[in-house]
Amino acid sequence: MIGKKSLSELIAELRKNENIINWHEIEPQEAKTRPMPASVDYRIKSSLEKRGIAELYSHQYTAYETLQKGENIVAVTPTASGKTLCYNLPVLQSITENDANRALYIFPTKALAQDQKSELNEIINEMGIDIKSYTYDGDTSPTIRQVVRKAGHIVITNPDMLHSAILPHHTKWVSLFENLKYVVIDELHTYRGVFGSHVANVIRRLKRICKFYGSSPIFICTSATIANPKELAEQLTGNPMRLIDDNGAPRGRKHFVFYNPPIVNKPLNIRKSATVEVNNLAKEFLKNKIQTIVFARSRVRVEIILSHIQELVKDKIGTKSIRGYRGGYLPKQRREIERGLREGEILGVVSTNALELGVDIGQLQVCVMTGYPGSVASTWQQAGRAGRRHGEALILMVASSTPIDQYIVQNPEYFFDRSPESARINPENLIILVDHLKCAAYELPFKESEEFGPLDVKDILEFLVEEKVIHQNGETFYWANQSFPAGNISLRSASQENVVIIDQSNTGDHKIIGEMDRFSAMTLLHDEAIYLHEGVQYQVEKLDWDHKKAYVREVDVEYYTDANLAVQLKVLEIDRTEARQKTSINYGDVSINILPSIFKKIKLTTFENIGSGPIYLPEEELHTSAAWLELKEIDPDLGEKTLEQLLLGISNVLQHVVPVHVMCDRNDIHVVSQIKANHTGLPTIFLYDHYPGGIGLAEDVYKRFDQVKAAAKNLIRKCPCHDGCPSCIGTEIEGINAKQRSIQLLDLF
Amino acid sequence: MSLKSKLGRLKGHMTLNTEAPSEPVNSNPVREKEEGGASIPFEQVWAEHSTGTYKMDGQFCLIREVHYPVDYQHGIYTLKEARKAVEEWNAVSYTHPLSSKGLRVEDMFFFDTETTGLGGGVGNTIFLLGYAFFHEKTVTVRQHILPQPGFEIPLYQSFLEKVNYHTLVTYNGKAFDWPQLKTRHTLIRDHVPRLPDYGHFDLYHASRRLWKDDMDKVKLVNVEKNILGIERKDDVPGFLAPYIFFDFVERKDPEGLLGIIRHNELDVLTLITLYAHLSKQLLQKETTGKSLEVARWYMGLGEKEKAVRTYERVLAGNNAEERMAAAHALAFQWKREKQFGKAVNAWLEVSKKGKAEQRIEALIELSKIYEHQEKEYSKARECADSALGILSGLGNSKKRETMELDLLHRLKRLDKKLKTGGWN
Repeated sequence: MIGKKSLSELIAELRKNENIINWHEIEPQEAKTRPMPASVDYRIKSSLEKRGIAELYSHQYTAYETLQKGENIVAVTPTASGKTLCYNLPVLQSITENDANRALYIFPTKALAQDQKSELNEIINEMGIDIKSYTYDGDTSPTIRQVVRKAGHIVITNPDMLHSAILPHHTKWVSLFENLKYVVIDELHTYRGVFGSHVANVIRRLKRICKFYGSSPIFICTSATIANPKELAEQLTGNPMRLIDDNGAPRGRKHFVFYNPPIVNKPLNIRKSATVEVNNLAKEFLKNKIQTIVFARSRVRVEIILSHIQELVKDKIGTKSIRGYRGGYLPKQRREIERGLREGEILGVVSTNALELGVDIGQLQVCVMTGYPGSVASTWQQAGRAGRRHGEALILMVASSTPIDQYIVQNPEYFFDRSPESARINPENLIILVDHLKCAAYELPFKESEEFGPLDVKDILEFLVEEKVIHQNGETFYWANQSFPAGNISLRSASQENVVIIDQSNTGDHKIIGEMDRFSAMTLLHDEAIYLHEGVQYQVEKLDWDHKKAYVREVDVEYYTDANLAVQLKVLEIDRTEARQKTSINYGDVSINILPSIFKKIKLTTFENIGSGPIYLPEEELHTSAAWLELKEIDPDLGEKTLEQLLLGISNVLQHVVPVHVMCDRNDIHVVSQIKANHTGLPTIFLYDHYPGGIGLAEDVYKRFDQVKAAAKNLIRKCPCHDGCPSCIGTEIEGINAKQRSIQLLDLF
Repeated sequence: MSLKSKLGRLKGHMTLNTEAPSEPVNSNPVREKEEGGASIPFEQVWAEHSTGTYKMDGQFCLIREVHYPVDYQHGIYTLKEARKAVEEWNAVSYTHPLSSKGLRVEDMFFFDTETTGLGGGVGNTIFLLGYAFFHEKTVTVRQHILPQPGFEIPLYQSFLEKVNYHTLVTYNGKAFDWPQLKTRHTLIRDHVPRLPDYGHFDLYHASRRLWKDDMDKVKLVNVEKNILGIERKDDVPGFLAPYIFFDFVERKDPEGLLGIIRHNELDVLTLITLYAHLSKQLLQKETTGKSLEVARWYMGLGEKEKAVRTYERVLAGNNAEERMAAAHALAFQWKREKQFGKAVNAWLEVSKKGKAEQRIEALIELSKIYEHQEKEYSKARECADSALGILSGLGNSKKRETMELDLLHRLKRLDKKLKTGGWN
């Protein structure tokens, strides 16, 4: 056998590939360091020295010095830049100064918390000081819990645990809350949308309790690169923040390559499938034993790519060393995969954005993205998975046919010059706010004069009194209900209950193989759906909607399924309107009825539609915020049918463009067009938040509509297709000159 | 849009948990006359039910006090049996977690709470603190009642002023009532005296130990019915307490709440009867068929002498099954004391008449003694072989698998010893 090729050789080969449309190199950077501050305890110093850390990177130094002044900080740090020292150093220092001091670390997931504990305990052991750090999560045994509460210097947990187990039982944590010196919020950028809005309220509750016990902790946040780290940190913690972004960590050379699959159907501008290209590219690296991570946009896509790659390389390296990773896998499986990657037993992993987070899987050499991840910030996060401090790394983004992918790869300056997106939260979402006010009143009686965020909450308190959830006695509101409010509130999703997936392939040995939130289950776990899990195909035999259980059985079929939703939309209230010449832009409240209608069976190899079936599930109703564009005067020459198609085309473009501009997942904001809107009879395009009460996305669209419009026009104009393709306005257009007319129509708004 | 109308619209998305209780609450029309802020609603009705008020800084709580003669019969005993039990504990030399040696019955208070919810979260409010305590001729039941959320300072202030005892007696109070009281106390700790450290007898664990095989759930009502001969009439079930309390807070009419107060009163009286009864079991003053459990408990506590005496008592009884269990347990004790002869005789009997598991264990023990003490390898082998035979007739379990492996190993070793006569 001829010897393996090195990464440099593969990079040299790749340079000749004609499908590469942009090659961007990121120059290596030397380390920028500062001497260890004199105030640092000698035991910490020597323990760090043993780990090869004699000096601090510039950002670590600034973080330390700023915290010594008592300011809150948010440190923006790329992957592998030593961000943990930004908080571990000041926290350990404060405990060496006073053994009573306490710190609370909050990580978005249990896995990250576990990672941290191991790393922290290594340093502590070398320091030779009795500092106790513990994780506190669902897996912590009752006996350890007692010890953690009373004697843990550093308690490492996640927001869910803080919300449902620590805050509602704060009287068992008196020594923590009386002495809380630092609160660390790692992976700040993950706290956006619904989740972030919830967590901001959990932090309000935390601060209330600290105040009760007489402490006032300093917040240390760390974040990946986003446009508004300071704003987000301030919104999330309610404290003024100092931004620290003078990254001084060294890095090796990185090649950031855009790959556009060849066109296979010229008139329709259809390109070769990104999935197929990714399979072949990943194969090359894996065959040569180069550790590679492949990112895919959806859970289904992960499973499809995984099974293909496993098939392609099974003779060379065996399928066990290529694994999938996504939500829905059980924690134990995930831990095993993470460890395998760190230790090098696992050569390749195909993942959803679940691995964007700082889960420690070591640094890989190659990152392949199947399509644009949807946001600049997310792309840099995924790209950060490849790259070591020294040596080369390759990041390969393979574009799909979607408009935004095509736009990005053809306008590389858009990506490389653009600042990343903002992370938005709306802690004042009424449903979320009401939920947490209930929890707050449960935890400590609520004074009329008390603040809970910027909104005047008196009306809400009175509402809760009317609903007999709280009781007013003088100027104080007391919890007056038999329930445990935190138990019914999930921070992670709109729907409270998840659907449990039960494999009944073996009679008598039914196994739970995963779970899924309610809204996703409507489209992925309906009767007859093909559900993929770890590369294995299952068919859903029955979705028991009342009991939130999906019964599946292993199958071997040549297709996957894709569900359609029927959506009805009613405007409830118009909050703001901006009239333009022939149009108006509006913002307000809407009610939406969602009903899954049919599913299609799509052949795995050719992606052709080979059948369909109905979905019988109850309708879900959603009250939320929306922005909508109304056409008040219609060109009489434009037939209704044509107009309808143009609106559909523009919706298609907006659905692609908007998530990029307001930084959210594609699923967080939905676009619907109506030729005759119910409330006015006018042609209208709606964009709504896919969460009860709204989380501020539609509002953002309303505020920045001109920017969104410009991006949409630009996308249509730059698309190389003849007159409409799936990458821009879609293919449903019959009339000629649809692209030109779409742009004209957009210009009216 | 106004905040209020938005709240109304989004109500369907919220979980407000205000659904009605599954069983109807007896509710009467509002009868309250509008009274001035200073006076206490229904003060007259409260007074008729032996309840007065405790006022403090513009707040108040209610305190109810009733007295029972010590000759009052509650279930199978009169209240004064508890005094006798304490005296008897003082007369013995061994110890036990429920022993009141060194105490007088006047040092104890029999304590129970009623709360607005389930579980141990901070927001679960205690609205009734009830306890019974002894005087020479009488027993007093005193209950401190929260008239509405927010008046906890007088509730705990009055409680801490009046409770001056050494040891509390509860039913599951270690896991629930006392931690919950500590939690609520923490919230107002700057305004009331600190909580003293009390001794604590939790009768729930003792009851579970003795009667868990006799009832579905070892709840206090079940113990009352099945063991203590107490049948409650028109009792308001405890799970309705939150609904009744919130209804009372709204309407102020004591009527519904009086039912809960009565329920709590019976609970604390039962604690007296239960303490007397458990003590009699543990002191073995009466044989009511629980000697075996009692003996095991003493053995577990390391009170060997008391344990052995209690086992011997079982052995002298006429329940065949229990006698085997006692013989088996005693044999282990004799083995530890190197009284091998006695142990062998006991195990020989158990190996014939015991339950399957006991027979196997007895045979294994016999095999060990024959092998190591008496060097009778063929006898030892015979016993091990019989044990294996019984074992193979039983179903599978992890414990049995280990036993089987152990026996096979034992047999192999014995075969070797039989060949070499033990010399290798």
